[in-house]
Amino acid sequence: MTILECPPTVDLDAAKRILQARSGNGQSELIEVLQDVQRTYRYLPEEVLKLIAEQLDVPPIEVFRVANFYKAFALKPKGKHLVTVCMGTACHVRGAPRFLDEVLGQLKIKPGETTEDGLFTVETVNCLGACALAPVVILDGQYHSHMTAAKLRKLIQAAKKADQQATEAVRLDSVKEFNDYRKQKAEAQKSRTTTVILSSGTCGQACDSLKVVEAFRRELKAKNLEKKVALRVTGCHGFCEQEPLLIVEPKNIFYCRIKPEDVPEIVAETLQKNQIIDQLLYTDPATQQKIVHENEVPFYKAQERVVLGQNKLVDPCNIDDYIASGGYSAFLKVATKMEPEAVIAEVKKSGLRGRGGAGYPTGRKWESCRKAKGTPKYVICNADEGDPGAYMDRSVLEGNPHAVIEGMLIGAFAVGAEHGYIYVRNEYPLAVEHCRIAIQQAEKLGLLGQDILGTGFSLDIKIARGGGAFICGESTALMASLEGKVGEPRPKDVHTTEHGYLDLPSNLNNVETWANVPSIINRGAEWFASMGTRHSKGTKIFALTGKIRNTGLVEIPMGTPLRKIIYDIGGGAPDGHKVKAVQTGGPSGGCLPEKMFDLPVDFEALTEAGSMVGSGGMVVMDEDTCMVDVAKYFLTFLSDESCGKCVPCRLGVSRMLEIVTDITHGRGTMEQLDLLRELAETVSLTSLCGLGKTAANPVLSTLKYFLPEYEAHIKKKKCPAGVCRELIHYTIDKKECTGCGLCVKACPHHAIVKQGKFCRIIDANCQKCGICRDVCKFDAILVN
Amino acid sequence: MSEYVSLTIDGAKIRAPRGTTVLDAALDYGICIPALCHLRDVTALSGCRLCIVELVKDGRSKVTTSCTLEAEEGMVVLAHSEKIVKARKNIAELLVAEAPNSKAIQDIAVRCGVKKVRYPFRHNNCVLCGKCVRVCKEIWQSESLGFVGRGHNRHVALPYNTRPEYCKHCNYCIDVCPMTIVPCPGSMKKGEEFLCGQCESQLSMAANAPDTCVMCELGAGFGCSRRHT
Ligand SMILES: Cc1cc2nc3c(=O)[nH]c(=O)nc-3n(C[C@H](O)[C@H](O)[C@H](O)COP(=O)(O)O)c2cc1C
Ligand code: SF4
Ligand code: SF4
Ligand code: FES
Ligand code: FES
Repeated sequence: MTILECPPTVDLDAAKRILQARSGNGQSELIEVLQDVQRTYRYLPEEVLKLIAEQLDVPPIEVFRVANFYKAFALKPKGKHLVTVCMGTACHVRGAPRFLDEVLGQLKIKPGETTEDGLFTVETVNCLGACALAPVVILDGQYHSHMTAAKLRKLIQAAKKADQQATEAVRLDSVKEFNDYRKQKAEAQKSRTTTVILSSGTCGQACDSLKVVEAFRRELKAKNLEKKVALRVTGCHGFCEQEPLLIVEPKNIFYCRIKPEDVPEIVAETLQKNQIIDQLLYTDPATQQKIVHENEVPFYKAQERVVLGQNKLVDPCNIDDYIASGGYSAFLKVATKMEPEAVIAEVKKSGLRGRGGAGYPTGRKWESCRKAKGTPKYVICNADEGDPGAYMDRSVLEGNPHAVIEGMLIGAFAVGAEHGYIYVRNEYPLAVEHCRIAIQQAEKLGLLGQDILGTGFSLDIKIARGGGAFICGESTALMASLEGKVGEPRPKDVHTTEHGYLDLPSNLNNVETWANVPSIINRGAEWFASMGTRHSKGTKIFALTGKIRNTGLVEIPMGTPLRKIIYDIGGGAPDGHKVKAVQTGGPSGGCLPEKMFDLPVDFEALTEAGSMVGSGGMVVMDEDTCMVDVAKYFLTFLSDESCGKCVPCRLGVSRMLEIVTDITHGRGTMEQLDLLRELAETVSLTSLCGLGKTAANPVLSTLKYFLPEYEAHIKKKKCPAGVCRELIHYTIDKKECTGCGLCVKACPHHAIVKQGKFCRIIDANCQKCGICRDVCKFDAILVN
Repeated sequence: MSEYVSLTIDGAKIRAPRGTTVLDAALDYGICIPALCHLRDVTALSGCRLCIVELVKDGRSKVTTSCTLEAEEGMVVLAHSEKIVKARKNIAELLVAEAPNSKAIQDIAVRCGVKKVRYPFRHNNCVLCGKCVRVCKEIWQSESLGFVGRGHNRHVALPYNTRPEYCKHCNYCIDVCPMTIVPCPGSMKKGEEFLCGQCESQLSMAANAPDTCVMCELGAGFGCSRRHT
């Protein structure tokens, strides 16, 4: 065993500097300080924690609890290389558990542990927000998409081998100055005739978009086109499967899957000669036709992109883009021409309901916060987005942070708030960064701060980073976390609009809710209410992932049938597979079978069917997905993420998981199914917070719609989808096997031998990792 | 404003000082609502969820915990409706499967009508009721203990797992702990757990009259007034 790399005594100087930069606010700074310490030291040394407790005047047990609660914190040093494996829903469905086990076996550790030599730490996260590229792994900060067991093995070996070798500040003080500024920026945009729009959000960057951007900068400079052609690097456009995307405006030419090598040709042909490059165009998989213009792509055509559509109009790191395209005018209208009550009335009339899960009417929430006694009041943006398989909040915050800020300004004006927070999960570094830049730019211009544009209205917004705990998305837990405490929910007998953050009136809304507000003010409540169904108005963004052709973010009017989303927009299952079910709403939602696909997607209809709109995750499953395994997956997630405070959720979920695990291992009985149902009902009836109250949905909905699969596991001891490891085994089809021996070489467990002309699997050695199946070119490896 | 409010619990009219919780009001009147994490004089944890009741209002009912529900004038509360009794029984079953080695938890299970435990026993030493944590913090102002870890890792711990110098050695944490109440003579040995059926009288009392006191040992812990008078 080699000695760990960390020094025996901890150097406290860095910690002292961190504390100096962030002193003054006591416990509410605690989580931010710990984040900084974690980043600097790669773990939280006990000495440093003691120092923090002393300096921030927080009881040591509190610091210890907080350090233990959030996944982002480690109390032991981490390895030199950090492998982060996404176990989100989309990645799960595409086989993440298989290669996780494989890499853990290879390194001989458990998740969260560090190898003896201190080189590798393997961690799991619940969704990295790149679901379209699932399964995803991060090795030392670098995203790797479409991972397989074999690829990951190579990556780790490569890392081991490498080791062995060794903006101008202007402040606007009045509405007039602001309007002049906008005119000037809009003019400046017009001076360039062509705009090249490149998407470079998290998914884009995972597909090397940054290199494409670099190449464009170089090429435009070399060809002396900088004055004529504007390059706009934007956030995600939603069609994540085809990243990086490029649009040439005003002609609306659409190229996808651009590589850095393509750039010189694009500049020479398309920009200089107006020629279209055929092989970069998008091919419609249904008709095999090439499509030239962005607005003709079927994926986009069937959508109504009110919120997401703005992403391509702005460079998120440049406030001028947002202003030039009409940004902040809704806020000006409100602050100069409207009374707070009128703003609330308008939002009420629009019928906007919270996009964070529960669908609570936004206007009503604002009203009760306005009426609540106590100052100062707070507006908070919930960007915790813990649902594994949903990433629209990330995309909006990353791609158009100013829309969220403007929404918060309007909301703050309406409820009478003076301070704002954006609570972002730490797993979204780009969103945190873009938000930080956006807030700085808005502050510099005088759009945030004291006496904004001379209107007498003031608001400041701060960013708080979450520490990797799903439960912190729940409103009371989020506010506890903002106060620097562990994120445990409290009973909601008193509403947070009256007693929220620091016991003061606090108005919490989701990212997408806030982003909808400016358009409602600008285009009117009637316009918004004209979209959607009777009780669910407007559009909603869904993250369409899993076993489907076109993965990405889709924005559709409420009430659109599932069928349209999955087949018209999503293009159905790839490679001749058949869609079996769709999981909506993440861990709080449920699975709906294909026969229910005519259901209109809105808050009421989905809830009635036993699922939820929830966060807007939509994971498509085909016949290779085992529904019992899906239930097990969500129960595992929930049992990890339950805060553990209340009995029904902590013990109930863990017992449900125990039962479902029994079933997937072939030990289940039919009586257990009744117990499972009864338990599920008790958990949802008696749990303290929303997590427990909805925790039964994945189980109840799969029991309701996919009972035969449960029965097959119990009675026949078979997993029809061939997923549950204990019930399957691998064999080689002699008819297909050519004896090429690829599998023999690939199998890391020496479980395949060549026997005569064919290969044979030795059952005793087989770990069911599936690597052989991935390498076999003749589909000769069977699972049954 | 009057000092008292009147409310109805399970059909009985009750008067309670303004500001008391429904649970305390019920216990004072001898209506036994089972509870585990409740302790008078410290903040409610609202964790065990045994004290759930139905609050009936405008023809609709809402399930909530009585230990966090403040008694209000005219309130109508059902503490033993069919729905509540069933859910409570299921919660008690979960608890006793976790800690069959505690007389207090066994009593609660019996009181809530659990006759059979359908889960494998787990034999834990703590049911995370948080009594120790809260008396330490709120009554002794010491904060030597806290809940550490999330979800299934949640446990009670000392800061950095060592007893701090400011611990007052009052042992109050041990006094309130439901796990330390002397086990009944029935077998609670590891590997031989069963639901204690020795107190036949308790079982039949619980079965025949669901809201009567079965003299559970826990009464001593949470200050059920019946037990001591
Ligand atoms: C366990 C749990 C997790 C949640 N996670 C989120 C989340 O990640 N993002 C979010 O906006 N809302 C989340 N919510 C919903 C919030 O509690 C809250 O209802 C919402 O942020 C309110 O904003 P809205 O009215 O705009 O939807 C969660 C709720 C629960 C119970
Ligand atoms: S329902 Fe679950 S997450 Fe919510 S308070 Fe209870 S234990 Fe915590
Ligand atoms: S140690 Fe005892 S008093 Fe403390 S939480 Fe556990 S069971 Fe309750
Ligand atoms: S990136 Fe893996 S599920 Fe979202
Ligand atoms: S006594 Fe009310 S929840 Fe435990």
